[in-house]
Amino acid sequence: MTKKFGNFPLDRRTFLGGMAAAGASAGSLFGTTPSFGQSKKTGTVRVWGEPGPYGGVGVAAMNEWAQKNAPGLKFEIETIPWDGVYVKLMTDLAAKRPPSLISVESPIATQMMAEGLLLPVDDMVDKIGRNRLVDGVKWDYWGNWKGKQYVIPAHHQPHLLLVRMDIIKELGLKDPETWDWNDLLHAAKTISEKKPNMAGFCMALGRNLCTDYHFAALLHSAGGRMFDPANKYQVVFDSPQTVEALNFVRELRPYMPKGAVEYSFLQVVDAHVTGQTAMSFYWGRTLGRAAEEAKPIFEATEAFNHARHPKTGRRNNWNDFQGWCIPAQNNPFIDEVKAALLYQQTSKEWLIKYCHSLMPNVAPTYKDIADAPELKDHPFYKSKPKTVDTYFRTSLANSSSTANEMLQGANPLAGYVHGRSVLAQTVQKVVIDNMKPEDAAKWGARELEAIRKENVRLLG
Amino acid sequence: MHILRHLQSDRAVGLLFIAPFVITALFFMVYPIAEAIRMAFYSYNPLRPDLTAFVGLANFEYIFEDPLFWASFWQATVWTLLSILFQTVFGVGLALLLHRALFGMAFFRGLLLFPYIVPTVVIALIWRWIFNPEIGVVNYSLIASGIIKEPIYWLSTPAMAMASTIMLNVWKYTPFVVICVLARLQSVPLELYDAAKVDGAGTMRRFFDVTLPQLKEVLIVVIVFRTIWTFNKFEEIYLLTKGGPGTSTFNLAVYSFEQSMASLRLGVGAATGVVMMIILLIGSIVYLRVAGFGENEK
Repeated sequence: MTKKFGNFPLDRRTFLGGMAAAGASAGSLFGTTPSFGQSKKTGTVRVWGEPGPYGGVGVAAMNEWAQKNAPGLKFEIETIPWDGVYVKLMTDLAAKRPPSLISVESPIATQMMAEGLLLPVDDMVDKIGRNRLVDGVKWDYWGNWKGKQYVIPAHHQPHLLLVRMDIIKELGLKDPETWDWNDLLHAAKTISEKKPNMAGFCMALGRNLCTDYHFAALLHSAGGRMFDPANKYQVVFDSPQTVEALNFVRELRPYMPKGAVEYSFLQVVDAHVTGQTAMSFYWGRTLGRAAEEAKPIFEATEAFNHARHPKTGRRNNWNDFQGWCIPAQNNPFIDEVKAALLYQQTSKEWLIKYCHSLMPNVAPTYKDIADAPELKDHPFYKSKPKTVDTYFRTSLANSSSTANEMLQGANPLAGYVHGRSVLAQTVQKVVIDNMKPEDAAKWGARELEAIRKENVRLLG
Repeated sequence: MHILRHLQSDRAVGLLFIAPFVITALFFMVYPIAEAIRMAFYSYNPLRPDLTAFVGLANFEYIFEDPLFWASFWQATVWTLLSILFQTVFGVGLALLLHRALFGMAFFRGLLLFPYIVPTVVIALIWRWIFNPEIGVVNYSLIASGIIKEPIYWLSTPAMAMASTIMLNVWKYTPFVVICVLARLQSVPLELYDAAKVDGAGTMRRFFDVTLPQLKEVLIVVIVFRTIWTFNKFEEIYLLTKGGPGTSTFNLAVYSFEQSMASLRLGVGAATGVVMMIILLIGSIVYLRVAGFGENEK
């Protein structure tokens, strides 16, 4: 039986396939694709992307360009699991065979940019349009180092608070939009106590990237951070704010699934989609999965900006300002990649298809796309306009990231921090080893200081 | 003529026959070991090979001062000792059972090889599902049979995660012990048992006084090999628990991987490998001496 895609009488794959075919004949909407002489190069242009259909959609656009301008080339996506990015990166770089184009999470892009491994793309920014970005963001957020732009926006991708509203209403809890940390804790506790076999709340607590990201958002909401870019990236992690965020995780822990200490990205989605939890921290992917596998849960779930910190009022999310970056070394297809990427970036159809491929996981980065009626012509937008808008627009006011803490300056050390799972390990010291949050914060600060010392060359 | 005669000599033919092994060993054993030893004295970040520098013993100082290295060492020791203990006990027990001449025994002997021949990655992924606290078959069976009421979180607490990794290792590698022991059992002269029976020895006495001494040499070899392979094991732990929860199932191989890949300290990872090699070399020599391996030949 064909699963319906929201109210569409199509499944997601059929929907995507149809759009890809339509796009292939439509070409570039703007007609501003820069001229490029025919390339006679042959071979496969390797492109790295994270799991999900959107990388494939981006590459489909590039192949459309290749058919017209470089018939001997084929762009091919290599999907890298989130927790495998480092291994893949290291082994391929060590073997001197990096891909020709990478769409990777912002901390790793920032690290590579500062290491001098990426090609500056300011010339491309001019052609794409410097004033095209959606309100509330800057080009810097995707990757700017020492005045040069190294990353072209692919999407922005905030993680938010996903809430089963049927449970909230059933238990008479307040509107999650108004919550502060205490309300979130109270709701998690109430749900755990009153709903048998259901956790009140779920976030990742395993030693992995997902835990790093989830905790970073709490840390930033509390007003804490890892490094101070205004002061030579001094480590400022050993702070009352870090302790407060760790204490909050410790307080939430009894209301999470017991297995959360080993959860990463997939398990948090599973917990929500299978109804094990009523609330979770996650990106838009959960809604896509729920729509396909658990329709009642999809219908009952809405996304909210995070609960406010009681004192700072901050509601930070960890927003992946993910972009396309071009390795500068051992890359035989630089000109072709730039031209193909420009083609994709200036094609309204392809950019909308990119966002539609996994709604509302990948948010549009350009105003003309965000405002396009075609973008809103999607079942999710029609059935959950507020949730989609929260992911796409209103979350931007609360954006933060480890690659650019509180959006106050790129952090070239973030890739190392995540490679070593420093934040996740700090959290685990509290929730598994029962270490006092004050001591865990000190431990984390020592690890961060070691990273800073080892990589001081990156800090200029 | 002289050259032709030389090429046809036993010495030349012997060298020719041994050459493929020597060349392969040079490329795939000697060179990687030499390179690892060399790298242990360098600081090497694969992202920035231009910054490679000789650092003397700094990598070794780093690991010896790192509490995680020592935690990994002790965890590796526990994981190895318990795995080998259970593999040996179960391996000998199963070999004795399979040594009986019963109908269909060949089938069971073949079946026993199953865990050993399935790729580790497949087994680890299957075990992750089996151990899944919410939907895993182990918890389901235990709850359905009334043995437990609440699901056990097999991989979520340090003690249970260590126990689970040991169980996986024992399940996968016990067949290796069985095969070796079974082969030896089949060559034990039956006259020894007949003589023991005539002297009035019961089943247990025959096992301890006849079977076990006959198995001594093979068990020594099996234990040495299994210890080396288990102590160095990476993929089972990494695929099952990634060293977690926390770092509670880290062994030195996982520690080395994390240092090399996650922390980009390839020199530190190589130094860890060198330390592991030395530990196992010393351990093996001491064990073989204490166990008296090869004394009969003297």
